[in-house]
Amino acid sequence: MESTQPSRLTAIALTFMAVIWVSPFSWLILNAFNPLSTGQLEIPSVVGLDNFGEAISGNAGRQFVNSMLIAAGTATLSVVVGISAAYPLSRLKIPGRNAFLWALVLLRMLPAAGVLVPLYFTAQRTGLLNQLGVIIALTILNLPFTLLLLKNFFDTVPIELEEAAYVEGASLFQIVTRIVLPMSRAGIAVVWFFSFTGAWNEFLLPLIFARVQDAFPMSVGLYAAFGQQGAINYGFLTAFSIIYAAPAVGVYFLLRRNMNTGFAGVGVKG
Amino acid sequence: MKNQANPWLTSNLWVLGLGMLPAILLIGILLYFTAWAFAFSFTDLALVGRKSVEWSWVGLENFERLFTRRGFLESLWTTVIFVFFSAIVGQSVLGFLLAAALRGSRSMLRSVVEVCIMLGWLLPDIVAAFLWSATTAQTGLINQLIITPLGLPPVNFINDYALPVVTIANIWKGTAWSYLLFSAALDSVSREVVEAAKVDGATPLQRIWLVQLPIIRPHIATNMLFITIWTFTYFPLIFAMTGGGPGRQTETLAVFLYNQSFARGNLGFGSAISVAMLAIVGFLSLFYLRLLREPK
Repeated sequence: MESTQPSRLTAIALTFMAVIWVSPFSWLILNAFNPLSTGQLEIPSVVGLDNFGEAISGNAGRQFVNSMLIAAGTATLSVVVGISAAYPLSRLKIPGRNAFLWALVLLRMLPAAGVLVPLYFTAQRTGLLNQLGVIIALTILNLPFTLLLLKNFFDTVPIELEEAAYVEGASLFQIVTRIVLPMSRAGIAVVWFFSFTGAWNEFLLPLIFARVQDAFPMSVGLYAAFGQQGAINYGFLTAFSIIYAAPAVGVYFLLRRNMNTGFAGVGVKG
Repeated sequence: MKNQANPWLTSNLWVLGLGMLPAILLIGILLYFTAWAFAFSFTDLALVGRKSVEWSWVGLENFERLFTRRGFLESLWTTVIFVFFSAIVGQSVLGFLLAAALRGSRSMLRSVVEVCIMLGWLLPDIVAAFLWSATTAQTGLINQLIITPLGLPPVNFINDYALPVVTIANIWKGTAWSYLLFSAALDSVSREVVEAAKVDGATPLQRIWLVQLPIIRPHIATNMLFITIWTFTYFPLIFAMTGGGPGRQTETLAVFLYNQSFARGNLGFGSAISVAMLAIVGFLSLFYLRLLREPK
């Protein structure tokens, strides 16, 4: 099928675009591997990993752990809460459920700063101005999307399979864990991934919730390091940025095959 | 629940209900907080000082200020330009072209291009802002590679062309989403239909314009809905790159909202801005949902 192969001209254009797309990374990489970095775009005279050593030790290492806790915690909690509600939502014909879910998603479009103030006051009163508080708050903010996407994925699992399993004597728990969940694995992976990267990147909420430096995640840490006026340590910042960017990129490549199938479900009319 | 005879569901209703409980609780909290934010918009609540404790109801005063004071309308216009060029024109057209060009090819090229675009999307907002500030700086990549070799003096892009720079940075960051969605959508168009059009003598352009585009129309509308709303309320990239400046050139509504609520501490006025944003977003969504529902 010759028509599905891109022509040579298209291939050149695409390659050119790919090069442009990654070119901004040159500065980041050149500085990160240059122990004598000055923040200029230049070929380093010495190449070394000193910056990375600095970026994983002490405070910076602690911030990595904090970010990981927040992101993995939020993603897992969102998926667990989401699944246990999305399956009934998908199977029971509750009137107005679609309109309700869409309304929630739209509501969630309210700029996060709007709900930030009530969130802060409540967390303060319940003593949740910590990692756990950030995880719960982010889960609340994620939930409308999580529910809508998971419900869409469960909708695509044919109910006949569940009927057959019931006839064979399977319990509800078995039906869900042996049929529904495996069949919507791709969708669950997508939702988990979205929640993970969302929480990993989140900046505003931890900035307000994290009271002490020990509790800073990497986003706040990077921002704070920027703010230190005067001698900006570009070598450290670029290495820190690369480490900060790595897990989201890594998780994506781990889930890549699932992602591409899972995306088909996002476009399906909700 | 009437036309349903699925015994494994109906005999376990209480289990299913129990499963929904945590989600219902959390959604309840979200609704409660949103109602709270609405209520704030009718007060003169402040972040610090006397009015953070002794606030009072001021009726529609905050909403009047949106239109009578400078700031809101200018920000709205900046936001419209930003959304139109970075999301609707940039991300979605570029994403579609890429998806169409790479469709069906299982080559190395597809993987390479996909990975390159995804890198932008996966990068945390703050890192992306850091990267683009450096790239467009006076000693940055664009100046060193293009402007200086041409014999021109270096340009301080982030100062002189702030809005175009953040627009391009956002296209760079966000195109992957549109690409992935359109890619999945085009894969769902059956090969037979396209082949049939080809047999009937349709040119490649006609095959895209007259066959594939109408079929993936719901996907286009969904994509538009998501990216318009996201870009409309997008905050970290612009804030970390320019803080809304120079002057107010890049002060989109999200940045305006932050500056008013947290930099100046006018929580009441800030809430009014977010309510206005919600109204605009809701209006846009209804428009897109209509587009989505109406079959041609």
